[in-house]
Amino acid sequence: MRPDIEASPKTGSLSGFLAELLAEQRVLDTPVSRFSRAHDMQAPDGSVTRFSELIPLSQPDVDEQYAFQVDLDSCTGCKACVAGCHALNGLDEDETWRDVGLLVSDDAAHPFQQTITTACHHCADPACLNGCPVLAYEKDPVTGIVRHLDDQCIGCQYCVLKCPYDVPKYSERLGIVRKCDMCHGRLTVGEAPACAQACPTRAISIVKIPVIRRNGDPIGTPSTFLPCAPDPAITQPTTRYVTSKPFPSSLRRADANALTVQCAHTPLAAMLVLTQLGIGLQVASSVAITREFTATSIATTGYTLFVAGLVASVAHLGQPLRAWRIFLNLRRSWLSREAVVFGVVMVVSGSHLAATWGILPIAPLLANGSLIVLGTAAIACSAMIYVDTQRQFWSPAWTFGKFLSTAAISAMSVLHPLAASGALLMKLAAEGTHLLPSNRPESPMSLSARLLRGPLLTTFLVRIGLGFAAAVLLATDNLRTGFALFAIGEFVERTFFFRAVSAPGMPGLPKR
Amino acid sequence: MNERIARTLTAREGPMTSELVLHPGGFGLGSVPARLTPEGTAQSVCGFCSTGCSLTVHLDHTGQAINLTPNPQYPVNLGMACPKGWEALTPLGAPDRGRSPLLRNKITGQMEAVSWSKALDTFVNRLKDVQSRHGQHAVAVLSTGQITTEEMALLGALTKFGMGLIHLDSNTRQCMATSHVAYRQSFGFDAPPYTYADFEESDALIFIGSNPCIAHPIMWQRVMRNPHNPDIVVIDPRVTETAMAATLHVPLRPKSDLVLLYGLARGLLDRGAVDKAFVEAHTNRFDEFRTFLADFPYERILRDTALSSATFDRLTEIVATRKRVSFWWTMGVNQGHESTRTAQAIINLALMTGNIGRPGTGANSITGQCNAMGSRLFGNASSLMGGYDFASASHRAHVARILGIPPDLIPTFKSWAYDEIIDGIDHGKIRALWVIATNTAHSWINQSRFAALREKLDFLVVQDMYPTTETARLADLFLPAAGWGEKDGVLINSERRLGVIRKVSRAPGESLSDFSIFKLIAERWGCGYLFTRWKSPEATFGILGELSRGQPCDFSGIKGYDHIESARGIQWPYASGSANAAIGHERRLFSDGQFYTADGRAVFHFDAPRPMPEPPDYDYPFLLLTGRGSSSQWHTGSRTDKSEVLRRLAPTALYVEINPKDAMGLNLENNDTVTVRSRRGTAVAFVVITPNIQSGQLFMPMHFAHVNRLTHPSFDPHSRQPCYKACAVRIDRAPTGLDEADSSF
Repeated sequence: MRPDIEASPKTGSLSGFLAELLAEQRVLDTPVSRFSRAHDMQAPDGSVTRFSELIPLSQPDVDEQYAFQVDLDSCTGCKACVAGCHALNGLDEDETWRDVGLLVSDDAAHPFQQTITTACHHCADPACLNGCPVLAYEKDPVTGIVRHLDDQCIGCQYCVLKCPYDVPKYSERLGIVRKCDMCHGRLTVGEAPACAQACPTRAISIVKIPVIRRNGDPIGTPSTFLPCAPDPAITQPTTRYVTSKPFPSSLRRADANALTVQCAHTPLAAMLVLTQLGIGLQVASSVAITREFTATSIATTGYTLFVAGLVASVAHLGQPLRAWRIFLNLRRSWLSREAVVFGVVMVVSGSHLAATWGILPIAPLLANGSLIVLGTAAIACSAMIYVDTQRQFWSPAWTFGKFLSTAAISAMSVLHPLAASGALLMKLAAEGTHLLPSNRPESPMSLSARLLRGPLLTTFLVRIGLGFAAAVLLATDNLRTGFALFAIGEFVERTFFFRAVSAPGMPGLPKR
Repeated sequence: MNERIARTLTAREGPMTSELVLHPGGFGLGSVPARLTPEGTAQSVCGFCSTGCSLTVHLDHTGQAINLTPNPQYPVNLGMACPKGWEALTPLGAPDRGRSPLLRNKITGQMEAVSWSKALDTFVNRLKDVQSRHGQHAVAVLSTGQITTEEMALLGALTKFGMGLIHLDSNTRQCMATSHVAYRQSFGFDAPPYTYADFEESDALIFIGSNPCIAHPIMWQRVMRNPHNPDIVVIDPRVTETAMAATLHVPLRPKSDLVLLYGLARGLLDRGAVDKAFVEAHTNRFDEFRTFLADFPYERILRDTALSSATFDRLTEIVATRKRVSFWWTMGVNQGHESTRTAQAIINLALMTGNIGRPGTGANSITGQCNAMGSRLFGNASSLMGGYDFASASHRAHVARILGIPPDLIPTFKSWAYDEIIDGIDHGKIRALWVIATNTAHSWINQSRFAALREKLDFLVVQDMYPTTETARLADLFLPAAGWGEKDGVLINSERRLGVIRKVSRAPGESLSDFSIFKLIAERWGCGYLFTRWKSPEATFGILGELSRGQPCDFSGIKGYDHIESARGIQWPYASGSANAAIGHERRLFSDGQFYTADGRAVFHFDAPRPMPEPPDYDYPFLLLTGRGSSSQWHTGSRTDKSEVLRRLAPTALYVEINPKDAMGLNLENNDTVTVRSRRGTAVAFVVITPNIQSGQLFMPMHFAHVNRLTHPSFDPHSRQPCYKACAVRIDRAPTGLDEADSSF
């Protein structure tokens, strides 16, 4: 045997060997040296693999558009479509444009499971497009693909709330949303979309489907869509889920019982409360003389709160410098309308304030009563933003009730504190009914109730406590503290307005 | 003017839009993200499972991998990959990669970064110290099926020929030991006979304890391409994804598989569906087997398996009447208390019906890890490297001559199995342990025992990509290893296909390939002179080719890595002189009916079924099944959990599946938090109610750390493979407050 290294240390040679190995570990072949090998591995005819058998041979006709087709019988749950889309589109590490979920059966006699792969449904009547205030969505007139203009997007995320299928994904890095564009760049060169290419069982393909048009605008597709998915009547999704097997009657989404606390959207919650409090105070100052405050101080406070609310709303945007385009979608988006009406309110109430200060020598631009009309309109626009998402927790009654009562109680607190106190108690009582279970265990309102009884209980109790304290203080004429507690309570209420909503989406995986 | 206004109002272009622009990829690729357009490509087989998909790795101008796509020209995967394959590069960039060796500070108890020379000094001094005080064999090694064949061989040679160890086993004991033993006994060599084309050429495919839809999705692709409208039978207690896709699901009672398979053989016998000519010409012991089958009358089959007669009859009819029947098994068979005989019961069915050696037939074990097949041939654990026998003097002399080492360096007996090494720690016989690329503290059956035994070890070395695995966190010394994608070498897939992995990414910090680490240890130990010919992985591959010469696995005709790559993988056997063109891309064994036994005949092996080791009882009334939960999780998740994309494709907390009847009986609802308890431990999980699991049974996915607290340590007597798939548990609603702490990975 050779002498042991320990017996005659050769540390010099060992460290030299170590250095050699460490250096070698860092050396990679360059592409030039790889090229010959890569060349050998190409198709014999040098062709490019485009999987073009998975897409139509020709463009859609006038009454057609492109749509994803998913053959559920072939989809066996490998989920390669999600990862393939991610890699072939170069998405961020935490970004996926395709998702997978699961439909299961509750019936012991009928075992069943079906993976559901889902991406943008390129709806005939896209809610994202309708809601986007800056027209950052376009529906391609030929292909029907709903495309997102990334450099147009202001990062308001209203499309995230509007889409019933949870498709647009917000990127913190970019401050915008991004979403599936059906790989329109690939389709243009006759190549299948990434997800279709990646499916080992060829379950995903692109088909042409008929679209019903009225005056040139697509208004619907004759589609049955998918059980346990959000109502297709809202946006007319075009994806075709086809299967030869009947679904069991006791079908359930695997994530049906999952409790997901939604994003609090703190700047939006602050914006809603501040603008509503501000409008309330300004209206109060414009219509009546108050007991212990001057109209000027009330109007000033109200205007300050209102402007602070607008500032908060800008803080919500991922790309605030692009926000000047926000008026572009007045035709369809309540967010555009809200922005414009808020602008008018700011000017009118500003001139009103200037008049009360005596800065403006002329009378207020409009009669004082106009502030009531404009303020109500502004708050109604705010409410409609949420009502338009068709979520039950944001129903017209609840949303208008919550928003308008914030303004009304704010106004009453300086006009008639006792009435304000009473109204606040009624509001708290109404909110308390959120906790009551609904008849249908998996209804959206029931999920909201479970969220408020579960993970959001502390927040909810804080809100009730603050509201109750505010009511007591207002009733006992401690107006400043009472108003402050009332305002904070409303803010807390507005955070769970966002956090406790049941957000619709396609079926998901089992989730705690 | 209008156009200018429109342009101002609508930003169709800009930096964010450009981020997603596509560009022709070149190199035969379709469109790729423009900012990730490759300057070149390299081919590398995937390093997760045994399918052996080829991935085209996209490289930047420095040769660094920036993206990958599955290779459409490769006969295994035909341009497809599962999510793990698509995400194969992501775990390399994880922030918790090991960047330098770490040594536990005896005073603070913390792991501290040390130099390689300090690490090597410590490694050698501590292990030699243990050997001098407790004997040479008091140091043991737990290896893996996840490193290259060359690395396995070097490790096996270093430890057994250089360091004087005996006990080296690998995590392939947990997945493939059963197939190894079953094939060796039945065919005379560990030789899975099939090629993936058999999936496409069968009239009937019988999957036993196998869920390829999620465990091997790229193999399932081949089933879906079968043009013969085949019968697809799935024998599994659960209604798995594959059972959903089957034409016949056989929902047998757990651990009644051996009875069912013998009953099926008996049914075939009774129907006269035996290929007598084949049996007489090419097998031994069939008459004994026929006699043995008298104990499996129809009534017993139905009683023991709880199957309907219609289901059983249909199964028998399919096997009896279809011309090309292939049998496929995976962990449902291999991880059982009588798994070797179960695998051989499948082999017996193929032999007696002559369903072997022809296209679309075979008794086919689908392997688990990417290089389990390399480990089985060259791991140097229970058999001497190259498929030889430690006990044979002539084998030792032969191997020593090829390696150029003194024959007396080769031990004369084989290693303890994994479970025996663990017992050895308990009994004080093993005092130091070196764990390489496996996560014993998570994956070993009845895992709590391993953590407790850690205290009995004088020294624990863990060599891994991550110092954060459950096992690495217990280590005294951590050695940072380069992973798949950061080194070259050969992996052997399920269908015996050798494929090459390539170095396409720089390993972080001072991490080194396992090959380099072994070479360094050899030098520092003082036995480096034994391995002067093992200069590089490719040089080592040449030595392995020499070792294989004349063996059933002969691949001495392979000239090197480029040869394998240009041939799109090469299946063994590939002896020198093999003509590539003539031999084809898809080859199966035994087409001449000649097996690797001394007389060339396959052997029927069988034993009476035994009851499961821990059946449910009054205290623990449920039977817990464990298994793969999704296609996006790999084993203990040490790599796949690093990818946010993969994490999104499976539940992120431990769950337990329960039948609606049982849930109703226990007043459980979906998403309730429960504790699942066995005699050995407790795991907290959330409830998933599904009729796809039978009443009286529960299912939990193995990827979550606490599942193996529950499993029962029983082992197949022939293969020593653990029985992960059946233990008695109870389930209770968890006390509130438990859910947060215990639910994560």
